[in-house]
Amino acid sequence: MYDVVDFLLNTQLGLNSPDWVVMLISHLVVVGMLFAVAPLQVLFLTYYERRAIARMQDRVGPNRVGYEGLLQPVADGVKMFTKEDIVPDSADKIVHLLAPIVAAAPVLYMFAVLPWGPNMIAVDLPTGLLFFFAISSISTVGLLMAGWASNNKFALLGAMRAVAQVVSYEIPALLSLLFAVMFAGSMSLMAIVEAQGGLFISTTDVPSVPDLGLGWFVFTPVGFLAFVCFFIAALAEGERTPFDIPEADSEIVAGYMTEYSGMKFAMFYLAQYILNFLLCAITATIFFGGWQGPGVAWLVSQSLSADNPAGNPVYNVLAGMLGTFYLLAKTYMFFFVMVALRGAFPRLRIDQLMNFGWKFLIPLTMINILSAALWIAITRWGTAQGFGIIEFAGEPGNLVRWVIAFAVTLVINVAAYWFLARLNVQDHAARQAALTAGGLAVSPPRSA
Amino acid sequence: MDLVVQIMFGVTGLLILGAAFMVVSVRNIIHAALWLITCFFGIAMLYLLLQAEFLAIVQILLYIGAVAVLVLFAVMLTRQIDDPDEPVLFQRWRSTLLITAILFAAVLVPTIYNHNWLIFADPQPAFAGPRELGFAFMNAYLLPFQIAAVLLLAALVGAIIIAMEDQEQRRVRVLTLAEEVALRGEREPSPPTRPANPQPASSSSNPTPPPAPEQAGEGA
Amino acid sequence: MSNDTLTHSVTFTEAPAALTVVVDPTPQIARGSAVIVERRRPKAAGWSLLQGLGVVVDHWRKSFRKLDDPTQIAGTFTTEYPEERLPLPEAYRNMPILLFDDATGHELCTSCFQCQRICPPQVIHMTQAKDPETGKPVPAVSEFIIEYDACMSCGFCAEVCPFDAIKMDHDFELSTANHPSLTVHKAGLLRPVSYYQSIAPTFWAEAEASAYKKLEANKKRRPASIGIAPQMIEQVKAAHELRDDQQEADSPPAPVAIAPALDAGRAATPATASAAPAASDGDLPTDKAARLAAIRARNEAKKAAEQAAPAQAQPAAEGAATALTTPDAPLTDALPAASERTAPPAPATPDAPLDEKAARLAAIRARNAAKKAAQAEEE
Repeated sequence: MYDVVDFLLNTQLGLNSPDWVVMLISHLVVVGMLFAVAPLQVLFLTYYERRAIARMQDRVGPNRVGYEGLLQPVADGVKMFTKEDIVPDSADKIVHLLAPIVAAAPVLYMFAVLPWGPNMIAVDLPTGLLFFFAISSISTVGLLMAGWASNNKFALLGAMRAVAQVVSYEIPALLSLLFAVMFAGSMSLMAIVEAQGGLFISTTDVPSVPDLGLGWFVFTPVGFLAFVCFFIAALAEGERTPFDIPEADSEIVAGYMTEYSGMKFAMFYLAQYILNFLLCAITATIFFGGWQGPGVAWLVSQSLSADNPAGNPVYNVLAGMLGTFYLLAKTYMFFFVMVALRGAFPRLRIDQLMNFGWKFLIPLTMINILSAALWIAITRWGTAQGFGIIEFAGEPGNLVRWVIAFAVTLVINVAAYWFLARLNVQDHAARQAALTAGGLAVSPPRSA
Repeated sequence: MDLVVQIMFGVTGLLILGAAFMVVSVRNIIHAALWLITCFFGIAMLYLLLQAEFLAIVQILLYIGAVAVLVLFAVMLTRQIDDPDEPVLFQRWRSTLLITAILFAAVLVPTIYNHNWLIFADPQPAFAGPRELGFAFMNAYLLPFQIAAVLLLAALVGAIIIAMEDQEQRRVRVLTLAEEVALRGEREPSPPTRPANPQPASSSSNPTPPPAPEQAGEGA
Repeated sequence: MSNDTLTHSVTFTEAPAALTVVVDPTPQIARGSAVIVERRRPKAAGWSLLQGLGVVVDHWRKSFRKLDDPTQIAGTFTTEYPEERLPLPEAYRNMPILLFDDATGHELCTSCFQCQRICPPQVIHMTQAKDPETGKPVPAVSEFIIEYDACMSCGFCAEVCPFDAIKMDHDFELSTANHPSLTVHKAGLLRPVSYYQSIAPTFWAEAEASAYKKLEANKKRRPASIGIAPQMIEQVKAAHELRDDQQEADSPPAPVAIAPALDAGRAATPATASAAPAASDGDLPTDKAARLAAIRARNEAKKAAEQAAPAQAQPAAEGAATALTTPDAPLTDALPAASERTAPPAPATPDAPLDEKAARLAAIRARNAAKKAAQAEEE
């Protein structure tokens, strides 16, 4: 974008503007585009979710406003914005006002590091992945503020649940993503996507593989287990249905959103759907290659760049469009899975949630990090790193090494999954037995 | 560019100082915690100004995402959040201020005095990136790093020991009302309020029916 | 868990490690006993979750097909209402309507008040028609009002009606922003018999014979155009004129049942015609006119009583009443106003009481006053 603005301002118009003006304008344009995209995504996702879940329940879903109901979210939005904004009399007014802003603003920041296509990223932070989750953790403060400022028991309960859940599930989410950092050798999301070229086998592991943009991390045992763990944790972070405990409408009205209406409620809604979209997008980016797909690499190679001055700028546009298409297709696919999960599963209890997170997910992700380390060691290390045993399989980048790594990590991960699942099932059975067998272990009377 | 950075530094510093002052002066504890979050944000901005973006992000992730949220969480469970009668300063605040000021100065003054103020004329490559920090932790400062880890582990274990109830004494399930009553009876063998013989003087006010006549007949 | 109350029809195989359980294909289930069925262990932890997800996705996949057979368990079965409609069952009932005969335009209602009496929310109101000449009640209804907004669609009125005149309609799209329009008058309630036949053919087939038989009997007792549906009067009149022309051409004068009725109607009162607009508008002028007419009639009756002999008093008062009930506006003007309820009423002058009911009331009062006067003079 810097180049484009520079070209337009200085070369075409001859304004000869200073460097920082060009930079400012280019950043403003990108930010404006992203801020325009975000609400549109929300509008589409609400419609998409309602239609999809209706189909799963053998219904039709909203199809009245506009063609096949496509304008339904617009109608909903108009309704929401024209509603009265009610603030409870005993609420903490300022915090009540700030809470939706604090909840929604960080989510928009998360767009900054999401790669949409080859070289299509607002800021390619070297610590993009960490930034993504650090910023998302600020939303939690907004939820707590909302719950507390409403001066409502349901709201406070919802906020407490939300915070407990988000804080607990941030750990497995981040731990399961660590493998990608190890695989790509960088926390930049762009680098992570670029490491996923290839055909079933990533070109970073075996460079001789043809690059069809299909060497996704999910095709490795490490990546697959991390994907499963991360997606579950993402559901909990996005407060999607099996984990929608913070806003369990049958228990605590609407959780922290109970006392919100109109515009402010819309802000929470916006934040939630953007977060869901971003979680799906980040799943696609890290495990399913992001904008990588057949054809993108070829288009990029034909396009105009510093390395290839003879390229055609049309290919730049085509590569970007195809990459964005791949990313959005994968994102919507994951959102569909989220909707299907909502259609299939009931809500968990808070203790089940905590048990699952702390006793199953976190140990599993930790073992997965071990597998990831082994994968790196087997495929890339040698005597120089103190891992000379692997030298028998040939140089790093050898297919034999890849096969060994695949087998070893597969065995470790399957065994870990089986063992942890068995432990948890036994634990559950023991507790059930204690409950049903009249385990009336009663606490002694408290002195009060 | 330099001027912009200086202005931003000034604004950030003012934000941090103002927020820190609000933390200690605001009566409402929740508001104090929220001001604390603002303060953390300012510090993250300072890190960004120092081109230590990794540290800035970690500051946000840990201090705002975890520490501040836990503080808020704990504060919300307290009973008196906003008490206008409670004085902000307690009686010996002057001596406390003196001691803390001396301690603070003991650290800061030698640092300021001895530090070689090397102002970089031009932007330097990142020296606090994840890679540099990782190397530092795993090479030069491995021992302090491991000791800190052990310390944290000890703290964790201690917290668990404090928080964990005795498994034997834990109530496995919620009692039914009948069980609760039975339990009370066991605990208090002689309920003092009940008269031994519930036979009131006037029969008209007594709603309990007399023993069934059939039973009496059968007994006879 | 006592074993004697439970019959285990499940047998375990020898190998407990495999945890395979063979269920007896024909379990003997005795009354009062519980059967414990061991389900197969899931293959791996989380497998059953995927199975559940599979069911949902399967439904999603199949939902693009329309469900045409109720035995299928997946598929969309939504009827998209405004475009598609399910056929309503014949016995479906929503709001009551009145029937009239297609051929002659005669209403089936005889104003027997059965429906008004049985109506639980009491939303049916009717006025019996009277012969304008004799003042005697006629088996026809001059005004019939049903408050649709309070009607509870119980269908008692249709059940109780001995003449099959009131039936339950199938039309349920009554939503309106105009609340008063839900108080429906006779012209809005009347439907031809053929309409009811189209929505409930078998029910009408059962009732048809007796309904027409009773209608024929009633028609004979209906003088003039009383009891003809307002929307049919024009047609009936046209048919009648056509027949008149034919009769003039063919010399033998064969009096048809409608002919005198319409002739008399032109001369006498538009019994059904003027009632609807007057009641629906509820104007002051007609009210005032009626009151004026009543006062005038009473005065005239008094004068007559004072002046004339007691024997002459009654006819004089009657004459005054009939004179007053005769409208200035001709029947042909009043008819279109009656057929469209929303149309403006016929031009009403203060001297001409269009409100037939009020005029009738005035006449009766006048007559009573005259009688009293006559009695007083006799004494």
